[in-house]
Amino acid sequence: MEEDRLFKFRRPAWLNSAWARSAGVYSAGALFSLAFYILMDAAVWSGSALNGSDVHVTFVDWLPLIFSSLGMLIINSVEKARLSADSFSYSGSGVAWKARVVLFLGFAALAGGMAGGVTVFVLKFVVPNVGWPMMGMGVENVVANGLVMLSSVVLWVSQNMEDEYSYNLSL
Amino acid sequence: MPTAGLKTIIALSFVLAIGFLLVILSCALYKVYYPLLVVATYVLAPIPNWIASRCANPDDFVESSGNGVLDLGRFCTGFLVVMGIALPAVLAHSALIGIPAMVMSIIGGLLIYGTIISFGMFFQEEQEF
Repeated sequence: MEEDRLFKFRRPAWLNSAWARSAGVYSAGALFSLAFYILMDAAVWSGSALNGSDVHVTFVDWLPLIFSSLGMLIINSVEKARLSADSFSYSGSGVAWKARVVLFLGFAALAGGMAGGVTVFVLKFVVPNVGWPMMGMGVENVVANGLVMLSSVVLWVSQNMEDEYSYNLSL
Repeated sequence: MPTAGLKTIIALSFVLAIGFLLVILSCALYKVYYPLLVVATYVLAPIPNWIASRCANPDDFVESSGNGVLDLGRFCTGFLVVMGIALPAVLAHSALIGIPAMVMSIIGGLLIYGTIISFGMFFQEEQEF
């Protein structure tokens, strides 16, 4: 059991309770909501009367968040037990390898969303030298993508608690 | 779990009424009716959790496939709870509603949600066998 762990570091003991697990899932949802509403805030602010400039949030600004969310969906759809156990099942041999490919696609989408957020921030806000209150829309884009990453990390960690929790209870 | 008496019901309905009062006041005082969305959000917030807990049996250790549904419900509930706070903040940041209206609708929304949650906690005992 010790060598096919996904984590390099040991988790503290309190992390393995059902309470910490559901709290982790709740806070993942909260972080994702925060990310969505931060970008929503940028979009609403862009359309409001406060925005005097002609820099506006368009579909391009939403695209990084869409990619990040897609990556998060893919990552957390992969069943964790498939990653370490290379068992033969009805889907053929090399299940762990296939699961890792899908997981790689998910991480690529997540990192691509983050990179896209930074790209939009640089190309649309930093290079044309947009003034500060308008610059906030670009900063919010980067922050939103970072929060989606954080949310998927929290969700991943709390879903990994599941195995040892149920193992402890069934003993 | 304390048993729910008459005093609990009275206190909960009192808090619920104060919550609704604050939210409606934040709308009607400034003639902008966007903060009413907070009520809808907090009423919707526990629903994914309830649906998921009906779908999945958490006591079933042999078949652990139901846990994904449970997690999805929790994720959606967390999303909606933060949405209730984030929505007035977004509206206030864009000057669609004032700062006092934002504060009132957030406090009112949290009171409403707290009432719903504690109502669920107090009266859960009767549903179980």
